[in-house]
Amino acid sequence: MKSAKRHNLQNALVGVMSFALAIFVLLSGCGESPRVLHVYTWADYFKPALVARFEREYDCRIVFDTFDSNETMYAKINAGAGGYDLLTPTSYMAGLMHSQDMLLKLDHALLPNRIHIDPEYLDSAIDKAMDYSVPYMVVNTVIAWLKSRVEDFEPSWSVFDRSDLKGRMTMLNDMRETIGAGLKFLGHSINTKDPAELEAAKGVVIRWKQNIAKYENEQYKTGVASGEFLVVHGYSGDILQVQKENPDVRLAVPREGTVISVDDLVIPRGAGEVRLAHAFIDFLHDPAVAAENTAFLMYLCPNTDAYPLLPEALRTNPAVFLEPGIRARSEMIADLGEAHALYIKAWDEIKAAK
Amino acid sequence: MRAKRHWKIQEVLLSLPSLFWLSLFFVIPTLLVFAVALRPANPYGGIAPGWTWANIRSLASPNYLAVAWRTVWISVLSTAVCVVLAVPISYYLARVSAKWKNVFLMLIIVPFWTNFLIRVFAWKVLLHPEGAIKKILAFSGLVSPQTSLLYNAGAVVLITVYTFLPFTILPLYAAAEKFDFQLLEAARDLGAKRLQAFFKIFIPGIRRGLITAVLFVFIPALGSYVIPDIVGGPDGEMLGNKIAQRVFVDRNLPQAAALSVVLILSVLAPLAAILVLQRRRDKPASLLEVR
Amino acid sequence: MRRSRWPFVVTMAVLLFLYLPIIILIVNSFNASRFETGWQGFSLIWYERLFQEPEIWRAAKNSLVIAASATALSLIIGTTAAVALHRFARSRLQGVHFGLVYMPLVVPEILMGISLLMVFVAVGIQLGLFTIFLAHVTFCTSFVAMTVLARLQDFDPSVIEAARDLGAGWGTTIRRILLPLLLPGLVAGGLLAFTLSIDDFVITFFVAGPGSTTLPIRVYSMIKFGSPPLINALSTILLVITFAAVAISQRVSRSRS
Repeated sequence: MKSAKRHNLQNALVGVMSFALAIFVLLSGCGESPRVLHVYTWADYFKPALVARFEREYDCRIVFDTFDSNETMYAKINAGAGGYDLLTPTSYMAGLMHSQDMLLKLDHALLPNRIHIDPEYLDSAIDKAMDYSVPYMVVNTVIAWLKSRVEDFEPSWSVFDRSDLKGRMTMLNDMRETIGAGLKFLGHSINTKDPAELEAAKGVVIRWKQNIAKYENEQYKTGVASGEFLVVHGYSGDILQVQKENPDVRLAVPREGTVISVDDLVIPRGAGEVRLAHAFIDFLHDPAVAAENTAFLMYLCPNTDAYPLLPEALRTNPAVFLEPGIRARSEMIADLGEAHALYIKAWDEIKAAK
Repeated sequence: MRAKRHWKIQEVLLSLPSLFWLSLFFVIPTLLVFAVALRPANPYGGIAPGWTWANIRSLASPNYLAVAWRTVWISVLSTAVCVVLAVPISYYLARVSAKWKNVFLMLIIVPFWTNFLIRVFAWKVLLHPEGAIKKILAFSGLVSPQTSLLYNAGAVVLITVYTFLPFTILPLYAAAEKFDFQLLEAARDLGAKRLQAFFKIFIPGIRRGLITAVLFVFIPALGSYVIPDIVGGPDGEMLGNKIAQRVFVDRNLPQAAALSVVLILSVLAPLAAILVLQRRRDKPASLLEVR
Repeated sequence: MRRSRWPFVVTMAVLLFLYLPIIILIVNSFNASRFETGWQGFSLIWYERLFQEPEIWRAAKNSLVIAASATALSLIIGTTAAVALHRFARSRLQGVHFGLVYMPLVVPEILMGISLLMVFVAVGIQLGLFTIFLAHVTFCTSFVAMTVLARLQDFDPSVIEAARDLGAGWGTTIRRILLPLLLPGLVAGGLLAFTLSIDDFVITFFVAGPGSTTLPIRVYSMIKFGSPPLINALSTILLVITFAAVAISQRVSRSRS
């Protein structure tokens, strides 16, 4: 009797194990292509159909890993996460990585499409000659709000002072963006190294903190779309995508000026598929591809020859192409060097403030 | 003599794999954290040469104290709520018929087998400002329609309790089952009030289970990272979040290490105390036995 | 004697508390609405979408590979540890050994994550599936050891000596005595290790590298990047698998008693 039971037990065990093995074999059976391009990037940052097309044309597979801040990406790469072939850091971070000799010099012979890139953007870029980076997308920081729930919306950073919206607003969980908003509100540069200006901006952000629900980099999208949050601080393309799902979402560029960031395509040192990475960069700057990608992501790929191919609604959208006046008051994030520590301290104090 | 040596060799051989593995991947890493806490950081996320007390000294900063205090009170409160809920449950489970006991135990364990992140996410859905619970509360005038039930310390405590409750119930139940309930009856016969008997006889009777339960909630709660990250507000930062921020955002490993040292020490203190208290006679493994 | 009703009431209330979010989750996975705020009709669209997401399946595969291999190795290390702890309970070495095995059970995950990350950085090992595997074996070993030890404590160690005295070789003793005695503990420990490994987010998050996204990491980014209905559907599937696994393990342990 006892041994019969033991048999039952063994049968069950064998059953479970073969089940697990079956799943394993089934899953690992999904064929592996010979070449794999490892891309470390923001979530949903390439139109899937274009990725599929590139995979077909080059008989390869692209594997995406996602990060939610430049700093996380940098920390991971710095901590020894090698093996990536392509990264999309924001320009200031690309500059920092370059200064640390973490990036490969780009081979211009492999990038014929670089001639389409908007010279106006290159002019204000950190890496004007595209030695180590090619601009991928221009991201404008904006404020979004729900039309039916927020009365008398003013396109200004001062919206975060509104206590009637207390607990239903979010700001970005990003030191540079949120302190930057405070600096812009006061009319200072977002790259200031003046401790007094920084101190004043810190005070503003702490005041705003009383009214916001959360510092949030990602969930503000579903949050505003589902009515969880009524006003959010976020990125133009993300919010334009959300707007397609919920037309009640509106967006505005604050009149005091805003933060412009450009995400670059860079190849890290130690990449295994250098040629393939170049090919992908070049592919993304084919004007037709760039236009299609822009129309999908609703960020702006700075590619002059792609502009005429964009849908009308996008070409006239002030959140994509900023109005000249606001554009003049807006700035790109630059690396701070030693002043970085001041910002970290201010941000810590903001987080700890009551 | 030969037999004794043989015995010793056997012991060493059997202990070697785990001693080796845990030394390599647990002891050395922990010591390394202490070492890194004494190194200066360079602004590019690396560790600079030399040694410094700066990281340790910076721990006295009021910014850290606020975070540390919040971490402690959220952990204490969550542990207390867990225990208050789990004691009556363990009492009930120990007395109910065997059949129902198994059903209830199963029902308590199953949610704990589901993915932790998914359980946290489920609460996000449940407490959504446009969701049913909020609407009911707002309708009955308990909260204003503009407020959010999420993104505050209360939500962090609630979801911490939700996550760790099974960890509290199981050791308490294991202890309650070994408790001789005739003692309670006897106390009642001797004229003790019901509550009096409960607190004077039952609670001391399950003391060991209580200690294990507190340990298994309080210590992980001290290291919370995900819960305050997902449902905490702008004020919700705990020590774990600060450590993660130092690693991933501020690219300052030595600072992260210094904070980790605080966490390690605050975990080791209660742990050492309890290990000494209950020695090895009471198997802490009783928690796992029930699973 | 009349018993208090309170324990019963609290038990029921807590069960409701434990299941309410899960039920809402399952119901919402069949909700046609993209947001959880209202019911817009029954739909299987999220399940359909789920099966079109190759990233999720790749993550699931990574998780299974790691969980299976970490379970296997931690079973070996954990079981030898448990046997040593049990047989030589009174030796001083085992006192240290016990402390060492016990610590990873209670140390906050974030500490294990950051300390392992620092070691991997210091050694210069490439972060990826392998580092995740090493980390998982570390905490799984302790859980396996404790589970097996708990089972061992229920049986009399002299059985082994008796078998040896009666002339059984080591092979026979292990096969005929030790393994059958340990089997339920091994099954329980293995299942626990497997679940913990599949479920782990924090430690994995610290030691993950390129191409090593596991299911919990994927779920975390889905929560952050906002595809709630997909998470509902995925959770429901995982819940069904969990219930099946629990049912099987119940079967196994019932056939034991």
